[in-house]
Amino acid sequence: MKQRKQILTYLFVVSLIVLYCGHIFAAEAPSPQRVVSLAPSVTETVFALGFGSRLVGVTTYCDYPAEALRLPKIGGFINPSVEAIVEKRPDLVIGVKDSSHPVKTKEIEILGIRVVLISVTSLDEILNSFRSIARLLGNPQAGERLAQKVTRQLEAVKQRAAPAPRRSTLLAVGVRPLVAVGGRNFIDELINLAGGENIAGNAAQPWLNLPDEYVVAKAPQVIIQAGMGSERAAAMRYWRDLKSIPAVKDGRVYSYPSDKILRPGPRVGEGLEEIARLIQPECFMTAPNNGRNGESRCESPRP
Amino acid sequence: MKVLDRRKMILVNGCLFLLLLVSLLGCSLIGPVTLDFRRAFENMFLPDPNAEILFRTRLPRVLLGIAIGGGMAACGVVLQALLRNPLACPQMIGVSGGASLGGILGLIFFPHWLLPIAGGRLGEISWVPLAAFVGALLSMVLIYRFSLFHGRLHPYHLLLSGVIFNSFIAAVIMFLNSIVDFYQAQGLLFWLMGSLSTRAYLTVGFIWAYIVFGFLWLWTKGLSLNLITLGEEAAMQLGVETAALQRQIFIASALMIGAMVSVSGMIGFVGLMIPHVMRLIVGSDHRLLLPASFLAGGIFLCWADTVARILLAPAELPVGIITAFFGGPFFLFLLYREGKKLAV
Repeated sequence: MKQRKQILTYLFVVSLIVLYCGHIFAAEAPSPQRVVSLAPSVTETVFALGFGSRLVGVTTYCDYPAEALRLPKIGGFINPSVEAIVEKRPDLVIGVKDSSHPVKTKEIEILGIRVVLISVTSLDEILNSFRSIARLLGNPQAGERLAQKVTRQLEAVKQRAAPAPRRSTLLAVGVRPLVAVGGRNFIDELINLAGGENIAGNAAQPWLNLPDEYVVAKAPQVIIQAGMGSERAAAMRYWRDLKSIPAVKDGRVYSYPSDKILRPGPRVGEGLEEIARLIQPECFMTAPNNGRNGESRCESPRP
Repeated sequence: MKVLDRRKMILVNGCLFLLLLVSLLGCSLIGPVTLDFRRAFENMFLPDPNAEILFRTRLPRVLLGIAIGGGMAACGVVLQALLRNPLACPQMIGVSGGASLGGILGLIFFPHWLLPIAGGRLGEISWVPLAAFVGALLSMVLIYRFSLFHGRLHPYHLLLSGVIFNSFIAAVIMFLNSIVDFYQAQGLLFWLMGSLSTRAYLTVGFIWAYIVFGFLWLWTKGLSLNLITLGEEAAMQLGVETAALQRQIFIASALMIGAMVSVSGMIGFVGLMIPHVMRLIVGSDHRLLLPASFLAGGIFLCWADTVARILLAPAELPVGIITAFFGGPFFLFLLYREGKKLAV
């Protein structure tokens, strides 16, 4: 009996020591508790990883999730205020490579604040950005889980859209001027996964101002006008006089008034399904469409 | 005052007119995509890609380019004479700033509104150029008021108030640009950079009618413009009603500039450079200089826009980049050559 009590005491002391050591080691490399995000996609990722409560500053463009709207603002996406950032006393500032202001991020670093710029130009990089942000915040498993969840979403859409012949697609933000998604842009990859083929996908620029005649010559089968505030009626009006474009002739001019596919964040999977439903609607019908009534089906025509 | 040399007049303007026709044809044929012209003409009214590219996207654009280039150059000529300043250009008198602000407000507050013409039978035009034109008219009135000196339009006051009004407007525009959302801001910047992209023959027709009318009116003032470049006193002694002439020319050119900026944004350099180039080539008799500049401006902008369409194809460049990039060195070369000629 006495021996048993001794063993229990011994175990208790050992576990206390272990816990204490764990605490010491954790204290040696504390995960950042006060984080400033310099991009809407970073804000979304931090929230999706479950660390929204650690954000002490976001940009004025960070409007998702709704909690982000209530967080203190540190300025715009292109022009954040260094003062406002420093005033939040962050222990980590996360920005986006090639988008966050290089001089300002340098200034913040000089003031002794840790700045990490993540790269999000391709889908792979976006998935990796979940992992690296999670690692920075001390929970690599959460990053892996999020990356796997989004990968599954992307994969599911890819599987559904795969059997159909690919539709040439124009995806643009704004009609006057016509700014289209070019190559070297993760949205170009999304169009491909959704069963489309970007008509400006061979362009060297990620975004480009397309002349109307190029669109007529490329004859896209689907035209999607993306971005907040885009209206289908406005897009239809803009294109309606160019009836040789198959998308116009067949009524496949759509608007996609959401930022989901435009932001390299955790909602790209959801966004992909939504644009795939526009590009390949046949592949997302709940009732199987057996091709009667002359309707197209979600598979390649048999030779 | 020299008598107008009719032979030179016909020769110069005839050659330029022919060149303009060649440019109209050439620029319609050249683009980022190749066309089958036979099919384009055969299927002129059918939904055929070749026909749509040629008649619906390229031709209206080339026609607009000629009108805007010609109008800008003609306004540049008269403003340089009126203000007796070689740096005067259509962008300088403040009207373009007002038009830009009007257009920007239009883009922010009612980007999708359309005004049906004749109950929609003649198509619709966007409110954005209308808002820009209202902005141009309001700024014209304001600048006119500020430039009055002892009851008459004073060139230096006009120049100063125009430049300062433009910088003020630029600040307002930059402020608006930093409070709108990210994608809207991109759109505003593109609009400000200027573009000749259009498919509306209605708009092109309006602008042509407007500019040709304005140009012809300015042309009738050619002789008086010659006299006014000698100085106000001299012109007055030679029987020119300088005060009235200055007022009329300011209003006429401001109306033209307002309309041009409303449709195509701020396309710089044509209005500054073409008048100087033509002055070096044909001399400074405004009766000859005005039509020559009009034609040369049309030719230049039409080709500049073609280069903007094909240089980085399929991406399209803002045409203002091309006008400055090719126009600037050419102008400096002419200036250098002229300097050497005088030295010899």
